[in-house]
Amino acid sequence: MSEPVYELDGVEHSFGDRLALRCPWLSVKPGRIVGIRGPNGAGKSTLLMIMAFLMAPTRGVVRFCGQPGRIGDVRLRRQAVLLPQDPALLKRRVEANVLSGLRLRGLSVDGAASEALDLVGLDPARYLRRWWWELSGGESHRVALAARLALKPLVLLLDEPTASLDPESAEMVRQALYAARKRRGLTVVAVSHDRDWLDSVSDDMYRLDPRTGIVQLTQEGHPCEP
Amino acid sequence: MSYLSDGLSRAVGLLASGDAATFSAVAATLMATSLSMFAALACGLPTGFCLGYFRFPGKRLFRMVSDAFMAFPTVVIGLLVYAMLSRQGPLGDWGLLFTIPGMSIGLALLALPMVVSLTASAVEQMDSRLRLTLLTLGADSRQILLGVLWEARFGVLSGALAAFGRVVSEVGIAMMVGGNIKWHTRTITTAIALETGKGEFAQGIALGIVLLAMALILNAALALLRRRGGP
Repeated sequence: MSEPVYELDGVEHSFGDRLALRCPWLSVKPGRIVGIRGPNGAGKSTLLMIMAFLMAPTRGVVRFCGQPGRIGDVRLRRQAVLLPQDPALLKRRVEANVLSGLRLRGLSVDGAASEALDLVGLDPARYLRRWWWELSGGESHRVALAARLALKPLVLLLDEPTASLDPESAEMVRQALYAARKRRGLTVVAVSHDRDWLDSVSDDMYRLDPRTGIVQLTQEGHPCEP
Repeated sequence: MSYLSDGLSRAVGLLASGDAATFSAVAATLMATSLSMFAALACGLPTGFCLGYFRFPGKRLFRMVSDAFMAFPTVVIGLLVYAMLSRQGPLGDWGLLFTIPGMSIGLALLALPMVVSLTASAVEQMDSRLRLTLLTLGADSRQILLGVLWEARFGVLSGALAAFGRVVSEVGIAMMVGGNIKWHTRTITTAIALETGKGEFAQGIALGIVLLAMALILNAALALLRRRGGP
């Protein structure tokens, strides 16, 4: 059995006196699509920030591919890529936005923009030369997703990926995640309020709550037996 | 009104014939402005960026002082620089009084607070999500700094242009520290002031046309850059 990509052990995070996240354990296996849902303030976004190595937990350990993760480690940040809930685009054309991460890493950009836009259902012929200000909110979100898929990360962390999308676009994102997983074994951790979308895309489903911590759910949405 | 139209037609003649005195003032202006803007940008851009980007103790006080210095009376800057560079002053041995480099020091001091404050404002007004975007795309610390500066480029350029406009149109400092010496430190603005005082409108208008043309060219260049970079 392959080694988990993530192993979280006793992770907690507080903002001042307020406990924002309690995640006693979480294990994410490679190539799985993991959905995490929970009420507002459950700590879902905080959990993703910690898993993206952008924030240090107040307590606990995050192991990535068997090694303890360290905040600020660029190498880890380049393998576990976060798409924030409200991502900003750079003030450039769509093509430059999609390729920006590859250029930051000094990687080849040949054909990468068209391939990534295709994945998220945006026609490269129509979108590559557009400016960031010519896009709707949903298109911007998909361009931001394309920029992250172009990086071919080991793990993609998605914070409310369908929040600004219509049902057709949400379906395209689902297809894009399946395609990326099939082509290169992408592992995905997605947090969302969109229960239907999360149910349709996830292999493993969890519910997060600051009181009860994290609970794995069955396909019917019931807590798994311990 | 005829003296104005006469002045205008003679001014065009002076420019077309390549009048030496007129172009000497243009050259002195370009030299002093270039030197002072180079110094102000070299010091002001990094300072303004740090002021807008980082949090540190005393940041608000620093910003307040920089903002206040934007309204510093130019004649006082001229007086201070004159006092420093004069024979009895602490920098008198450098022999910079009534020279273009000396004048440039005063003009750089005039431009510096504008470059600092307007660069800081441009960086502060950046989309707060930009840093997270760059982080999630895998940028390291240096790339994040450069990325923020690049995204703020139009605001920074506008600030530099505003400072240039202030420097190129400055009379007090150029007159006091430069001395308005013909063929040497006489700039467009000091020449206009002198020629107008003598009732010689033609050269004043000719120099005014050059000054306006410089401002227009720079603004057009910035507008072109903005168009290439989006709205």
